[in-house]
Amino acid sequence: MASADKPINTDVPEKDVFALHFLQSLSNLRRQNTFNSPEKTNDRVKKIKKAAYVSMARAAGGTNRLWSRALLRRAAKENNKIVRFPRRKKRVTCLRRRSNRRDPVEEEEAERLRNLVPGGGGMGTSKLMEETAHYIKCLSMQVKVMQCLVDGLAPK
Amino acid sequence: MDVSEKDELRNGDTTVNYDESANNPPPDWRVSGSNPVSDSYPTENLMMETLWYDPTNVQAVGYGGFNGVNASSSSSSFRGNIDRSLEIGWSLPNLLPPKGGNGMFLPNASSFLPPSMAQFPADSGFIERAARFSLFSGGSFSDMMNQQQPLGNPESVGLFLQGQCPSSEVNVVGGAHNDASAVMKETNKQNVPVSGNVSEDTQSSGGNGQKGGETSSKGFDSKKRKRNKQNAEADQSQRSQQSEEEPDNNGGDKKRNDEQSPNKSNSGKQQGKQASDPKDGYIHVRARRGQATNSHSLAERVRREKISERMKFLQDLVPGCNKVTGKAVMLDEIINYVQSLQRQVEFLSMKLATVNPQMDFNLEGLLAKDALQLRAGTSSATPFPPNMPIVYPPLPHGFMQQTLSCMGRTVSSPLSPPINGGYKRQEANGWEGDLQNVIQINYGAGDVPSDSQAAATDASLPSSNMKVEP
Repeated sequence: MASADKPINTDVPEKDVFALHFLQSLSNLRRQNTFNSPEKTNDRVKKIKKAAYVSMARAAGGTNRLWSRALLRRAAKENNKIVRFPRRKKRVTCLRRRSNRRDPVEEEEAERLRNLVPGGGGMGTSKLMEETAHYIKCLSMQVKVMQCLVDGLAPK
Repeated sequence: MDVSEKDELRNGDTTVNYDESANNPPPDWRVSGSNPVSDSYPTENLMMETLWYDPTNVQAVGYGGFNGVNASSSSSSFRGNIDRSLEIGWSLPNLLPPKGGNGMFLPNASSFLPPSMAQFPADSGFIERAARFSLFSGGSFSDMMNQQQPLGNPESVGLFLQGQCPSSEVNVVGGAHNDASAVMKETNKQNVPVSGNVSEDTQSSGGNGQKGGETSSKGFDSKKRKRNKQNAEADQSQRSQQSEEEPDNNGGDKKRNDEQSPNKSNSGKQQGKQASDPKDGYIHVRARRGQATNSHSLAERVRREKISERMKFLQDLVPGCNKVTGKAVMLDEIINYVQSLQRQVEFLSMKLATVNPQMDFNLEGLLAKDALQLRAGTSSATPFPPNMPIVYPPLPHGFMQQTLSCMGRTVSSPLSPPINGGYKRQEANGWEGDLQNVIQINYGAGDVPSDSQAAATDASLPSSNMKVEP
């Protein structure tokens, strides 16, 4: 009960931040794959996608947000790197509380949303909503940036 | 109300005194239980002296023993000043406009009865029975009230809507006042002279998880009701002034309730105002009529409120979600939107991967130059003028030409620095409007945080590109 009623802050950095991060990660990707250039398109797609998400998470403030932390952690885990986020402990326990009074349909929908938003498994419902708002903002921004890139590159 | 305004004019500084006393932490009022009134409650007695024309030491002598029981300073000190304190006592809370119009307190409830039974325990049932006797003292009641005082926040309390009260209290009300919330007001009245604490103790106690406060105050309300009525009947002759004030005050109550009723309807499902005081760590919740008041229900309601608020926020974000009603459908929309965005990212990355395998090679060159320009713009004294994209006319052909030619140049021969800069600018003009900000900001304002961030992040770029910097 001790939480002050603070306003929801879902400010998202500018588009150029996203663009810069994405370009950077793309270039990093390219530099990594310079020498083993013959690779399948599928891998490239996966890598670019991951680069997009990771750069989005970085641009969105790194570890300040739960979803970006979860994204970065997941990405780092795939790279077999050990990352430590010193500010918050890893949430092992699921904070969801089951209550039979709540609407089961709503709960089910919230559960689906939890699976969609990275790191949503450990969030309560209100936190999930907040993170979802921020995530949607960042995702749409990233989509815009990528769309711009594709549009700039595709028409030959 | 005329009298109250008169008193307001006459005692212009009474509100100040009340505020001072209100700022005292509640434990201060309770610590000095064994002292006589005049010693234990200095600020209050100061206030009393300014307010009343009767000497206060009379009260102190008369009720010092009673005050030894508990810190029921208000009732005891008001007691005995029949005429003078009646008038002022009724009007005093009206002098507290910042307290949210909680208005009157209740001198007749406890202050006009002899303190003979003060030693009785706070057994609510017994007191309820005993309250019918005119001799019975209100001291124990006020004790109970005073015990509840530390729960409330003196400052935030006044912000509450006064007209809303939980159903439990509504049921208790016997019916002298036709307004149920008048009971609420009476409890508040009782609190006012003591610490300026206008809290409705039941709600705050329910919200704060204080057990027993709710029930005791519930019983207290009913007692209060009866006593109030009975006092009005029995002591009519003595308290003619008060009895003629009482309907006035009840009318004031109703008026105030009428004022608050639009607020009630406006608040919808919300439970009134929450305290805007950031200092207190509590979320003050008021239960509306008919709502449950135990702490779990309150917490659940707060949680639901928060969720719905955020849902509203999300509703603005997701296109096409405005027309949808119902949480489940809204959540479904949100999920669909997130999924579509994620699919879009996947699709676009696929496109990016399939566009040209060499494209990101070119991209790296672009980015390197880009970051270099940025770094030059931020660190050195802006080699390019800030309005560079405007100075250079936008090129009619798109981004692809530049990139292709740039790629050709990078393949054929390393770029010379001035050409590189020119390409950068053309690129900026050729890009879509969304990305145009990138280059503009990179050329332009050097103190944008994104610049510094990018400059920090591109430290990993190969240093061979450094020679491009003019």
